[in-house]
Amino acid sequence: MRRRDVLAGLGSLAVLGGGAAVAFDAVGQSQGDIEPVDVETLDAPGSDAGTATVPERGRVTFVELFATWCTVCQSMMPRVAEVHDAVGDEVQFLSVTNEPLGNTVTREDVVEWWADHGGEWTVAADTNLELTQRLDASGVPYAVVFDEDNHIVWQHRGRTTTETLETKIREQL
Amino acid sequence: MTEKPQPNRRTVLRATGATVLGTALAGCTDVLGSGDEDDDDVVLDPPKNYERRTDLDLPYPTYGEQVPSVSVPAPLHDQVMDTTEFVGDRHTMLTFIYTSCTTVCPGLTNALRHVQADSISEEYAEEMAFMPTTFDPEYDTADVLRSYGEDMGVDFTAGNWYFLRPENPEDAHEIVTDTFGVAFEQGDSSDDMGDGNGSSGGMDDMDHARHFTHLSLILLVNEDGFVERAYNGQPPSPDTAIEDARTLVERW
Repeated sequence: MRRRDVLAGLGSLAVLGGGAAVAFDAVGQSQGDIEPVDVETLDAPGSDAGTATVPERGRVTFVELFATWCTVCQSMMPRVAEVHDAVGDEVQFLSVTNEPLGNTVTREDVVEWWADHGGEWTVAADTNLELTQRLDASGVPYAVVFDEDNHIVWQHRGRTTTETLETKIREQL
Repeated sequence: MTEKPQPNRRTVLRATGATVLGTALAGCTDVLGSGDEDDDDVVLDPPKNYERRTDLDLPYPTYGEQVPSVSVPAPLHDQVMDTTEFVGDRHTMLTFIYTSCTTVCPGLTNALRHVQADSISEEYAEEMAFMPTTFDPEYDTADVLRSYGEDMGVDFTAGNWYFLRPENPEDAHEIVTDTFGVAFEQGDSSDDMGDGNGSSGGMDDMDHARHFTHLSLILLVNEDGFVERAYNGQPPSPDTAIEDARTLVERW
């Protein structure tokens, strides 16, 4: 069992105590830099099929992990879209599903969900859960902001506001 | 922790407090070398905070303990199943949910669903069974459970997923709380400061207002009926749940 379970609060405090000025909104998350991960990008509105390396060095990165079953993710889409409109040109900006694809939910299902909910930026799939694992993301939606040096500067699990997202990204620009 | 249901966050904080006490009393004990007899019944290594947790009087079955046996209807399979149904046959993952929950429960169901998908793609589906139990039988009828499962991406054709549904709220309390130590209480949605919504105060966007505060628990139970992992608090991330299930299957 990982520290997030019972030691979550303590763990975060200990890390904060000894580390840089990093703000955490939730508990039990990874800290610092992560090795960039290749995720599969999908052919969808605002998105081309291919590969994206996340986070992108030399650029601020915003990632939101989501899943098509997640009603909170669904309700976040208009807010993420607003944030994309505001800062999407200035940062690496993408949403990544970490649900198992190919069996009950297909890539086509994700693309359809994406179109239905107004997605108009890069959408990708964390098919081998590598990004999820490196972020230690215990749930969705899960938003992360990286600075230009791939350092995690903010992360948040669950619902949040447009203002918060935009502010956290702009602080890095 | 047993006296009354607690919201998840509070439960975690309480447990954290207790952990501090436990650490102070027990110091840094070497549990791996303690020769605990429970170790023979399980194949996964003790959870990282096991030595601290042993000092807690946890209400639910945990690492090395036997899974409780109780009969619960499986309405999508027209039969009554025992929570030990698969002992001697398969490893089992159990959790306790209500379908109109949009906070922590989808994460619980999702963790099982991720392991189910992995069990299918990695060909150990026949070594696993998944038994999520609703504690809201009034709302969660067979049809609701089926549709919820479909929405969550559950593969019903794999033949290893069984939604369990106590017949009424009284049975739900007896099965879920009294037998498994998973306290729940129907309450006002303003209490909902738990997992998923963060501190933004956002209410669920569901069209039917049902809300329970409940202990969040997933049990990974081995084929002999012993708990290999009891995930409490936030659901395990999908990769953790999968890694633990794979390790169990590989070492068995």
